[in-house]
Order: sequence, then structure tokens, then C-alpha cells
Amino acid sequence: MKLALLILLLMPLAFAWQGLAVAAMTTSVIILALIYMVGFGFGVNELQMMAKEEMFQIIAVAVLIVALTGTDGILNAISTSDAFIETPGDTGATMQSTAKDIAVRWRGEITGLFTDIRNLDIASSREGSKGSQCNIAGMGYSVSGCGGYSMLATPLSMAGGIVGFAIGELSAIERLILVSETYALAFLLPFGIVLRTLKFTRGAGGLLIALGISLHILLPAGIIFTDMLGQTFIADERAQEYLPQNYGTVDFDCNPGDTRPEGWAGNLIMPLSIATFDPDLFSGQLMTNNEINAINGYTTMRENIRKYLYSILVLATLGPVISLMMVAGGIKALTSIAGAEVDVSAISRFV
Amino acid sequence: MMICEAGFESFFSGTILPLVAFASVGTSVIIALAFMFGRATSNPKVTVWAKTEILQLVISVASIFILIMTINAFCVLNMAEIAGIFSQEIPDAPSCASGGSVSVYCAAETYLKDAAQYSHNAMSVVRYHLQGYTILSFLNAFRCDFNTGGIGWGCLFGYSGANQQPFGGYGATIAALNIFFNSTIIAFFTAMNFLFILLFVQKGFVFIFLPLGVFLRAMPYMRGFGSLLIAVAMSFLTVYPLMLGVLWIMSDILIDGNNNLTPIVSGPGLSQFYNEWIYPNEESKAMAQSFGSALSGPDYVENTYFPQGENAAGAIIFAANAFVAAVFLPTVALLTTIASIAYLSRLYGEAIDLSKITQLV
Repeated sequence: MKLALLILLLMPLAFAWQGLAVAAMTTSVIILALIYMVGFGFGVNELQMMAKEEMFQIIAVAVLIVALTGTDGILNAISTSDAFIETPGDTGATMQSTAKDIAVRWRGEITGLFTDIRNLDIASSREGSKGSQCNIAGMGYSVSGCGGYSMLATPLSMAGGIVGFAIGELSAIERLILVSETYALAFLLPFGIVLRTLKFTRGAGGLLIALGISLHILLPAGIIFTDMLGQTFIADERAQEYLPQNYGTVDFDCNPGDTRPEGWAGNLIMPLSIATFDPDLFSGQLMTNNEINAINGYTTMRENIRKYLYSILVLATLGPVISLMMVAGGIKALTSIAGAEVDVSAISRFV
Repeated sequence: MMICEAGFESFFSGTILPLVAFASVGTSVIIALAFMFGRATSNPKVTVWAKTEILQLVISVASIFILIMTINAFCVLNMAEIAGIFSQEIPDAPSCASGGSVSVYCAAETYLKDAAQYSHNAMSVVRYHLQGYTILSFLNAFRCDFNTGGIGWGCLFGYSGANQQPFGGYGATIAALNIFFNSTIIAFFTAMNFLFILLFVQKGFVFIFLPLGVFLRAMPYMRGFGSLLIAVAMSFLTVYPLMLGVLWIMSDILIDGNNNLTPIVSGPGLSQFYNEWIYPNEESKAMAQSFGSALSGPDYVENTYFPQGENAAGAIIFAANAFVAAVFLPTVALLTTIASIAYLSRLYGEAIDLSKITQLV
């Protein structure tokens, strides 16, 4: 007890939050002393033991304060380590700023994909909606020669949903990195230490400590780690076909009144009846120009899917998942060390 | 009437404290009778039980007084000053601030209200885009054949031409925005849900748990339940608002508190999409749109809804930010509260398995 009080008195009061922490610790020590006295006076062993146990927690907080003051430099050294920044030697770069730059770069790539998919969708649907009509004196015909393009709408919608979700994931990660840059070390960690001093708020304090450290170190580390994996992957020549570049062009120009098969030199409107049914028409040998264009468009898009995979699966899915799992795991482990384990399985389910 | 407001003290001292006193006295009488019965019948089990329970009663009552002290401290604690101590930018004082002092409860309430507003703003922006794209998608144009100088001769004696949906291709964008429209609805309702829990706590309902807890904790086989009631009251009155108060200090970044609850994104500003009344809700306006587009081309309609251009990617970013601010971090606050309940109930008596409740979050 005397040793603990001595530690408290020797605690540096130069910084505001350390002073607050010491005030909180002193209050706790006074309360514990009262509890210990009551326990001693009435011969209640439970109270005495509780007071002693809590005293160890106060000492642990004192150690945490000293450790934070000392390890602040270590955390910053990890943050600015050349191993974790994109341009080694850049003295202004930190792990957090590097992770943010990576997330912004990833989001830029995904947003580019989103724009490509939107443009494809707009072009194909516009052409697919075309229909030709001719009506004179109440009699005429209506032809939907570009109907083949409508098959492209479903895969493009699905792709739009996936890519949009990827943009959302990366935006959320960017926001969390910004929070970690601004608040993790400057606010969450010291305030957590202050709260951890009091028994009522020990759980909250432990969580803030864990959240601060996890967001500061593990979140950017997950992003940087995934980017390193990705860079290694794309450096391999076999990975070139998966890179998000060199998309094939898709010809979407369609004449809605043109229902002629390829090479057909007959009438504009192809007669189609059971009597004149030609199975070759549907076997791919005698399809209309528009159908061929639509199928070519679909085939080109199918070929391009592998060029989207790297960005969608690795950058936008694996990166955030690994980072958030690391953060959730870090919170669970650190809250356990800090004295009040928080079940973060609900957070993990967000991933 | 809520915690820290005028009138609450009379509710507390006029209703809750007498109930606590009544529960304490009643429990003491039961314990005393049990003790006397134990002595009269020379039953050591009963006397030991009575001695144990009187100590637990003292602990319960002492805990309640510590809780009252903590609540009073939270009422006078200024979260703006706390932000200053940690060298953080101080958010604007909310309307519930008393004389410039933002209590813990006021900060928590303000954060959740702002988070709900932020989610609603995100929902408005996504909805605006969804509705705009839907209207544009269904715009039909008919182009008459043999066009000369804007006049389609093909329609002169009949009806010859091609119909088309010039903006028919927003399926991919609508699919992307639909996901985030759902997510903003979830974010909005989650923020409202957390706000409701907070207001429920601040209105004083959980205080009823205190006298019940004092009484039940001392009764046979009810130690766990009584401890749980006291732990629930303590955690929701201290840990929950405190965690949300911490988020209020971070609100300049979390909910763009320094930019009118609207994120700054590349492309057209998002606040222009808050307008709920731009779309024609009368036939005459719809006809005007159709007529305008017939005369000036389909861009006429697009310019009506997106005069400075659309920003679907910005809407998605806004929705993602709203999810972080209104779902992710408040959920962390609630999980901490639940963890604190488990911790305190273990401290006061028996360990309570709250893992099932955690899974509901």
C-alpha cells in the first residue's frame, strides 16, 4: 500500500491526462482504503481481499501509464517503420497515412470499375430498349431486334451491386483509419487508462485501451499486409490477366429493325414460321447481326470478369476482412489483458 | 424530466430513495427475524446465513450510494472540458448543454441524435439518387423515321419509328444503391434504437431495479437475479452513456459534425440531394417534364434532377460512413455495457452468462 502511494506521488503531473489519471487513482485508493478498514474492523475477509485485489489493479494502471509514456515512442516507431510505408525513407509517412493512401488508391480502382460497369450497363440497356414500329392505317408491325441485349442487364446489375458494396467497404475502412489517426493515441488510449482506474468503468476503460491500440496498429497493418500480398501477386507474370486493365471494347450499336441473320441479303423482315423453320438459325450459324453483337458483348464481359476479380476479391474484400478480423481479435485479447473481456463476436459478424 | 434535469431529484428522493430505504429496512427485518429464529432454535445454518446476508445488504446499499455519487458526478462533468484535456477539438455545444457544460448524459444523447440525423441524411441522398435513376430509367422516347431537321416524316401518315429508353441502363447503379439504401435504413433505426434505450435509462426506469435488487440479493436462491438487476442499473447508468459520450467527443470526424452532418466527397456536394420535393408528384409536373424532354431532348429530365451531375459513389461513401457512426461504434458501446453487466454481476454475486444476449446485438 505504501509503495503504491509512493508511486502515485512520484507520478509525473506535467501532462493533463496523466494528472487526471493520478486523480482517479488517488480517489480509488482512498475508497479501497476505506473498504479495507471496514473489512479489517468487522473482520470480513472478503472485503479485505477485494481491497487488496483492487490495489493490484491500481498498480497495473500505474504501470500502464508509465508503459504508455514509454511505449508511445515505440508505437510511433512501428508507425513510421520503413517496413510499413510505401516509400521507405519518407520521414513524414506513418503506418496510418500509408494505410489510408492504400485504401484511397484501392477505392479509386474500384470506383473506376464501377464507372466501367455503369457505362456498359447504360450502353447495353439503351440499345436493348430499342424497338422498331411501323403502323399505317391501323395496321403494322413492331419488332424488338435488340432484345438480345436484355440478357446483359442481370449480370451487370449483379456486378454493380458487388462493386458498389466494395466501394462501401473501403470507405468504411478509410473512415476507421481516419478515426484511428486522429483519436487512437491522443484520446482513446489515455482516456481508457483513466477509466480503467475505477471499478465501475473498468470494462469501458479496458475496451477503449484495446480499441485504441487495435485501431492504431492492427487496422492499418491489415491493410498494408494485404497490399503487400497483392503486390507480390501482381508481380508474377501469370497474374497479368487478372490485373484491372486492358478491358476489351464492347460493340453495343444496334439497329432495332434489323432482324436479318448475318450475311442475309433478303428482305428486311425475316419470315419465321413453322413451315420455313431453319434449325441453323438457332445453332449459331445464322444468327442476326444484333444477336451476334449481344453475344460478343456477353463473351467479352465474361472474359473481363477475371480482370475484376483481383480488385474485388483481394483489395475490396480480403483487405477489409483481414483488417477488421485483426481489430476484433485484438480487442478481444487486449480487453482480456486489461481486466474485463468484451465479447466482440457481434462486431465480427459485421465483417 | 430526465437525469440531471430539474425535477429529477424530487423524483429520485421522493420515489426511488424511499423505495430503497423500504427495501433495506424490510430486508433487515427479515434477516433479523431469521437470526433470532436461528438463535432460538440453535440452528447455526440460519444464523450464518443471516450474518452473511446483512453484509451483502450493506454492500448493496453502499453500491447504490456510490452509484448516486457517480451519477451526480456525470451530471456536473463537462465533456467539452474532457475533450480539451485530451487536446481534442471541442464539438459545438448541444441544446441540452446547461450553461455551456455538456454532461455525460447530454453528450451521449446528442451523439445518438446526430448519428440518427446523419444516417437519415445518408438515406435521403441514396433515396434521391434511386428515385432519380428510376424516373430516368422509365423515360421513353419515340423517334420517327426519316428525320429531317428534327421532323420525323415517318409519323406523318402513320406511326413509323423506333422507341427507346434513353436512360434505361441504371440497373447496375440501382442495384448498388439498393444495398446501401437498406444499410442506411438499418443505420437509422439502430441509432434510434440506441437512443430509445438511452432515453429509457435517463427517464429513470432502471432506478426501479435498485430497490428490487437490494431486496432480492438478500433472499435465498435470488442472489444472482438481484445482482443482475443492480448490475444492469449500474452499467446502463454509467458505462453506456459514458461510452456514447466518448463518441460525441469524436463526432467531428465520425459524423462530420463540423460540416453540418454531411461528408465532403469528390464530385457534386451531397447536401444538394436532401431536397425531398424536386420530383414531380402531380400529373401536370410530369407532363411538363415529358413535354420539356420532347422539345429539348432527354437531357432536360436529367438536368432537372441532377443539375450539377449525380454522385452515386459519394452516396455510397456517405452510407458506409453512416453505418460506421450509427451501427458499428454504438454497438461497441452496447457490447461494453453488456460486458460490464457480466463483470459487475460476477462481482456482486454469481456469474451470469450473457453470451446469448450478446448474440442478439
